[in-house]
Amino acid sequence: MSTSIEKAKASKVKVAFFDFSSCEGCQIELTNLGEEVFTGLLQHLEFVEFREVMTETAKGPIDIAFIEGAFTREADRKRLEDIRARSKTVISFGACASTGGITALKNHMSDYSQCVYGVNSGAPHLASQKSEPISAAIKVDYAIHGCPMDKDEFVYIVSHLLHGKEPVIPNHPVCVECKMRETVCRYSYGHHCMGLVARAGCGAPCPADGIPCEACRGFIEHPNEESLTKVMNERGRMTSERAKNKSRMFTATLRGDAK
Amino acid sequence: MPVLVQLNCDIRIIKFIYLMLKRPLTSAARGTAMSVYFLKESDLTFFLGRLLASSPVIAPVAKKSKFVFAELGSAAELRLDYDVTLLPPKTAFFPVKQKLLDFGPDGPKSAITPRKQVLFGVHFYDIKGIDMLDQLFAEGHRDNNYLANREATTVVGSSIQKVSSRAFFSTVGTDVQPRGHDAFLTHVTAGYVFETRTPKGEALISFGSFEKATAAQIEEAAGVNAAVLKRCPEKLEHSSELIAVKVRNAFANEELWTDLAKDCFSCGSCNIVCPTCYCFDVQDRWNLDQVSGTRHRTWDACLTNDFSKVSLGAGGSENFRERRGQRFRHRMMRKAAYLNEKLGGPACVGCGRCSAGCVPDIADPVRIINRIVGGRHGSSV
Repeated sequence: MSTSIEKAKASKVKVAFFDFSSCEGCQIELTNLGEEVFTGLLQHLEFVEFREVMTETAKGPIDIAFIEGAFTREADRKRLEDIRARSKTVISFGACASTGGITALKNHMSDYSQCVYGVNSGAPHLASQKSEPISAAIKVDYAIHGCPMDKDEFVYIVSHLLHGKEPVIPNHPVCVECKMRETVCRYSYGHHCMGLVARAGCGAPCPADGIPCEACRGFIEHPNEESLTKVMNERGRMTSERAKNKSRMFTATLRGDAK
Repeated sequence: MPVLVQLNCDIRIIKFIYLMLKRPLTSAARGTAMSVYFLKESDLTFFLGRLLASSPVIAPVAKKSKFVFAELGSAAELRLDYDVTLLPPKTAFFPVKQKLLDFGPDGPKSAITPRKQVLFGVHFYDIKGIDMLDQLFAEGHRDNNYLANREATTVVGSSIQKVSSRAFFSTVGTDVQPRGHDAFLTHVTAGYVFETRTPKGEALISFGSFEKATAAQIEEAAGVNAAVLKRCPEKLEHSSELIAVKVRNAFANEELWTDLAKDCFSCGSCNIVCPTCYCFDVQDRWNLDQVSGTRHRTWDACLTNDFSKVSLGAGGSENFRERRGQRFRHRMMRKAAYLNEKLGGPACVGCGRCSAGCVPDIADPVRIINRIVGGRHGSSV
C-alpha cells in the first residue's frame, strides 16, 4: 500500500509556492479554485511547499516553482537564486511578481518609507529598494498575470506544462475582450480606461461593471503610451499632467520613463 | 487618340457584360420576392410572441445607451428603432468563442449542434456582411461550424429607422445588393410591409396576422428604404473600383501608413466590431483529468501585435507585420482592395462601427479613403 502511494507520488509533478513582497492574495485566490478543481489538480501535482495551506517546506528539487511578490530587497536575491537552482520551471505568480505590481508605486517616490511607517521607517527589517519583477533577479519562464492572478489561467498554464506544451499568454489589449462581450466603452461616457494598452486574458470584468481598467495584468508589448496620454487628455477629460501619471498602479516598471 | 477611345469602349463593354452576368446571378441567389404582406403596428407583438414560442429569436435590444443583438426574452424587448448594434449579428452563427470539438482517449467529437433560430431586425448593411461571410466560409474547405448554424437560421431584415452617427452605408459597395435574408420588414406609417424572399421567410407568415400588402404600401416601403440612403452622415466620394486601385497603389507609401497609425493602440477594436472580419484563433484546453479536453475558436484581430507572429521553432518567432503602420495598412487593404474581386465589391458595408469603436478615432474608412483618393474631407496623398 505504502509503496503504491510512493509510486503515485513519484510520478506527480512537484509544485512549490514562494512569496516575496506581496499581500499573498494570489495564493489565497488559488484556494478559491474549489474542491473539485483542487482535488482534480492533486491527481497530477504534489504540493511540496505552500505556506498558506501546509506547514512542510521543500528542500530538494522542484518541478514548477510559483513565485509570488515583487523583488524589492537585495537581501532576497540569494533566496530567489536558490529557488531557481532547484526548479525546472519558474513562474511569476500574479502582478507583483510579474511586473512589480502595486509595490512599484514607490519607485517614483523618495519618502515612501516615511509615509508608510512614520517614526519606525528606519527599522532595519523595513528597509527596501526599488521594486522590480522577479525576472529582475532570476530567469522566469512564464508569467501568470493579474491582481489577483487568474485562477482559470493558472489551471490552463499548469495543464499545458503537464503536457509539455507552450501555454499561450494573451498579448492583446483588454479592448478586444470588452468589444467581444459588448461592453459600452468607458470613453463613450467621457471616462478614462487603461484597457487600450492593458494585457488581456482576464475577460474584461472591470469595464463591464463600470470600472475603468487599471491594467493589473501589465502592458501589452509595445504599448502606445503617447497615444494613451493623448486620449486620456482629450477623451478622458484629464489634464495632460494627470493623463501622463494616471493609473501607474500596475505599470510603474513598464513605463517608458520608469526609474 | 482613337486607340484610347477604343480601349475605353472595350472596358465599358466588358464592364457591361460583367454587370449583366452578375445581375441574374445575384437576383437568383436572393430569390425574387415571394410575396409582400402587411402587418399592423399593433400586431407585431403578437407575431413575435408566437414566433418566440416556436424558436429562439435573436434581435436588437437596448444595452445601456447602445444596442446589441441578443436572444429576446419577450417581444417587448425588441428595439427596431436601433441605430447600430455594438457587435454585428454574425454572432448568431459565428459566436465570439465557439467550441469546435471535444477530444479524449476515443478521439475527437464534433461540437456542431445547430439550433433552429430566427435572426430578426437586421439592417441591410449587416445582411451584406452576412452574405460575405456566407461566401467566405463556404469556399474551399467548407466551414461547417459556421454553415450549420447559418443554415439553421432564418434571417429577417429590417428597414433603418435611425441612422448611426458614423454610418456611410449608402456610398460603399453600391453595386452589391443584400441577398442572404429570408424576409424583410419595412416600417411604414400604419405598420410594417413584410416581404418574403425564400420559403423559410414565407413560413413565418403563419405566425402572424398578415394581410396582402397594397400597391400603395409597397410603394411607401420602397420610398422609406430609398430615403434612408440619403441620411448617412458620412460619404465616400468615389467608386469602389477607383478606391481599390488607389488604396492598392498607396501600399508602398510608408510615410502615409505610419502617419495614419501614429495614434493606433493596435487594440483590434476595429476588427472585432467589423461585420466582415472572419479571422479566428484556435486553442485547446485540457480538462482536469488531463486526458480529455476541448478545442475552441475565438475571433482574432489583425491589428494586434501577435496576429502575424509565426513560430520559427525552438522558442523563436517572426512577425511579418511588426509595425503599427503595417497592420493598419493591412486592414485597409483587406477592406478596400484585396477581397473585391472575390466578393464583387469591397469587404466593407459602411456600418461605421469601426469609426465609432476607435478611441483615438483614426479607424474611419471614409476619412482614410478620402485622404488617399482625395476628396472634400481630405487631400490626395
